Amino acid sequence: MSNPLDACLHAVNQVLLGKEAQVRLAMTCLLARGHLLIEDLPGMGKTTLGHALARVLGLSFQRIQFTSDLLPGDILGTSVFDKESGQFVFHPGPIFAELVLADEINRATPKSQSALLEAMEEGQVTIEGATRPLPKPFFVIATQNPASQGGTFALPESQLDRFLMRLSLGYPAKAAEKALLLGEARRELLPRLEPILDHERLAALQAQVPQVRASDALVEYVLRLVEATRSQPQFAWGLSPRASLALLAAARAWAFLAGRDYVIPEDVQAVLPAVVGHRLRERADPAGHGGGALVQWLLREVPAL
Amino acid sequence: MSAAQPVPRIGLTWLLVAQVLVILPHLPHLPLWIVGLWLGCAAWRLQIFLMRAEFPSAWVKLGLMLAVLGGVFLSRGSLVGMEAATVLLVAAFIIKLVELRTKRDALVLILLGFFTVVTGYLFDDGILAALYSLLPVTVLLAALIGLQQSTFAARPWATLRLAASLLLQALPLMVLLFVFFPRMGPLWALPLPGDKSITGLADSMAPADIAELSRSPELAFRVSFDGTPPPRSQLYWRALTLDRFDGRRWSQAEIVAFAPPPRWQARGRSLDYEVIMQPSAQRWLFALDVATTDLPDTRLLGDFRLQRARPVQRPLRYRVTSWPEALREPQASPLLLRRALQLPAQGDPRSRAWAAELRAQYGQPDELVRALLKHFREQPFRYTLRPPTLGADSIDGFLFDTRSGFCAHYAGAMVFVLRAAGVPARVVAGYQGGEWNAGGGYLQVRQFDAHAWVEYWQPERGWTSVDPTFQVAPERIELGLEEALGEERSFLEDSPLSLLRYRQIDWLNRLRLSWDELNYDWQRWVLGYQGERQLEVLEGWFGRIHGRDLALALVGGGALLLGALALWLFKPWRRTRDGCLRQFQRFERLLARHGVHRAPGEGARSFAERACEVLPDQADAIRAFVAAYEVQRYGGQPAAPGELRRRLRRVRRSLPWLLG
Repeated sequence: MSNPLDACLHAVNQVLLGKEAQVRLAMTCLLARGHLLIEDLPGMGKTTLGHALARVLGLSFQRIQFTSDLLPGDILGTSVFDKESGQFVFHPGPIFAELVLADEINRATPKSQSALLEAMEEGQVTIEGATRPLPKPFFVIATQNPASQGGTFALPESQLDRFLMRLSLGYPAKAAEKALLLGEARRELLPRLEPILDHERLAALQAQVPQVRASDALVEYVLRLVEATRSQPQFAWGLSPRASLALLAAARAWAFLAGRDYVIPEDVQAVLPAVVGHRLRERADPAGHGGGALVQWLLREVPAL
Repeated sequence: MSAAQPVPRIGLTWLLVAQVLVILPHLPHLPLWIVGLWLGCAAWRLQIFLMRAEFPSAWVKLGLMLAVLGGVFLSRGSLVGMEAATVLLVAAFIIKLVELRTKRDALVLILLGFFTVVTGYLFDDGILAALYSLLPVTVLLAALIGLQQSTFAARPWATLRLAASLLLQALPLMVLLFVFFPRMGPLWALPLPGDKSITGLADSMAPADIAELSRSPELAFRVSFDGTPPPRSQLYWRALTLDRFDGRRWSQAEIVAFAPPPRWQARGRSLDYEVIMQPSAQRWLFALDVATTDLPDTRLLGDFRLQRARPVQRPLRYRVTSWPEALREPQASPLLLRRALQLPAQGDPRSRAWAAELRAQYGQPDELVRALLKHFREQPFRYTLRPPTLGADSIDGFLFDTRSGFCAHYAGAMVFVLRAAGVPARVVAGYQGGEWNAGGGYLQVRQFDAHAWVEYWQPERGWTSVDPTFQVAPERIELGLEEALGEERSFLEDSPLSLLRYRQIDWLNRLRLSWDELNYDWQRWVLGYQGERQLEVLEGWFGRIHGRDLALALVGGGALLLGALALWLFKPWRRTRDGCLRQFQRFERLLARHGVHRAPGEGARSFAERACEVLPDQADAIRAFVAAYEVQRYGGQPAAPGELRRRLRRVRRSLPWLLG
């Protein structure tokens, strides 16, 4: 493995079997300094993915289980009075980790949700008047279970927009599942993963991503895609500029991950479903879940060249 | 549209309707079982559509085909020839229905339909038939639209309107081609259908034949004169002469065709006119004496008739200059005179005796003729289309017993008596008079205007025409057959629906004449617009023009038109200035010719990967091209279309050569 990123992918794929595409997208998301929303049923390997990524990239890992009684303080941390020093001492919450897994984010109240989401957007938290920076890199993997809707608070569009990508892991293929059943328990494999990267090297890689060339012709393609979502009748609303920035950033990261220093339309197409799927709704069904069909339409009909 | 898709319901419906409309005008010359065949095949196809029946197996299809071949052979007596071929074509058009699986089959069927519509013109090229043919063409176009299976095609009226507007858009092009396209002579002679069904003069005559013709209101020919038309009583349209008599029939001597052209001297004023004759399946033309024409391969035969090299199978237009007062053959050859005196060896003794009497009485042929005419005028002769039957000596019976008959009787009897009296004479068969269409300024001559008259010869004065019928029934000559038959009511008694019978109803008559005028113009300006006339018209517009120049102009004009169309379609000014992208578009077109089409949303790389799967042998060249393209277009390398062109050439060379 000449490329450390390829090595990372390879290592994660050893743990999470048969999910190469999703792992690659997750890595892309991380390289593009975006956050990831995974929608899937329990037990599909969401936590394993988070753990494995954290291990391989040499990042600190925290997991927050979201429940309806979770308070913002439980996420961000609180100041506790220290008798010895006679002062309030800040106890950082679980958010102060480099990779945070926010499990079942839709179970928490909007107040707690927005605490996390604000932190994600700003890269810092303000508690009791003091602004504290979050670690760098800072990567949130949030999960939600689309199947059970009872007692949940669905993320509003504005907050969905803050996730660079939304993924679904899906059931493993038969061969992968067989290997899973015959092999060792996944959790036991995790501690054995060797860190391949560390903060500095990851930050350096992340810094290289914006250097990937997006030529005029490619930007035109991105514009055509965005324009189509704004002008075609089947779209309930168009993509925001944040979305087009996200799309280009993700495409750069994807190209970078492929070892290329320029973006081609196929990079955009590869990340398009994950990047814009959760930002689009069909006009016929504006409260619906997603724009899968719309994304397919974009891929098919918008001229790529 | 993929051609392999099944035929949609709406398309099938249109097809069936179109088939009915296409076959309808062919019905008169199709055997009846064709209708049964169509009903059967249509029902079968519908059952297939409803999934209640299967497509026929190969054996069933073979059987069906053989049955149709057998049917055509049985009903038409042959598998070749115009009529049999048309029946076969229509049958194929019908049978194709049961193996109509995909849109491609439907397209074949529609094309076949267009062709069948065109073959209809071989049987009827009248204005009504032409107008009618627009209907099946429109519906065929509608079927073409119906095959698209769009939401649009589900609306029948909209489809029909679109089809009609498509047809309308083709109209200017049609007119252009009609006016300018050079008419080529036939590449091979087509045996045209229906020779036997044409009524008209034949090359021999018994009185009953003319009576037969008198019942037919069919058009024989139309004439338009350059100046004022001569009075009706001078309109003796010569077709041919009959100079051999066998006691019952008058026929023409074969020798006429080989005789040298007659000698004649033009005298008096000439008449210029144009004739459009209906197909007669005969070689002679109709004209007033003595005629000269501009028509190629037509000559004046020894008996002053105009004859073509080939029978007239299509409406024929020709210009004639006639010299009615010309002196015809003042010196005739002995051979010709001998023929003009021929009589059967025996029979009709009373007539012969009477002729001898007359001859003794009158020395000069002129006097003799006058006496004969006087005889017809003063004795109780009667003009009728229903003469009593005559015995073995038909001339005797007519002259002395029944004394009733029509032109053929009078002409035949007069020639007989003249010959028996030693005056060379012959029967002239043709048409007399015609109906003047004042609105159109032309004369129409119908089959019931068929007439026979007499011409006799005397030294120095040549041939002189006389009409014994005029003595008996002057109104036949001056007014027409209907008036001559006034009380008898036998005029067109077999055609109760013929508008000609109701000439006394003014508005109906005017309607009939206007309709005829329209038909005449159609023949003159549409059907007759070819060869000389086309050149004449174009000459009128552009001055003297050669066929070659016309062809050049046509080719040039066509090229210009196509060029403009291509510009409009391909819009080169909108072509990208980006040389790099242009090379990629060429690459795309190249692969498209080999069956790999890029979807609009497909990027260069995925397109190339797909192409590599289809064309594995060219994979390296294709990948190399696309890699270079990507680097130049996205990778920030300076655009170098030249390099792309080189790589594209490599791809092209590695591909098998394809036409187009």
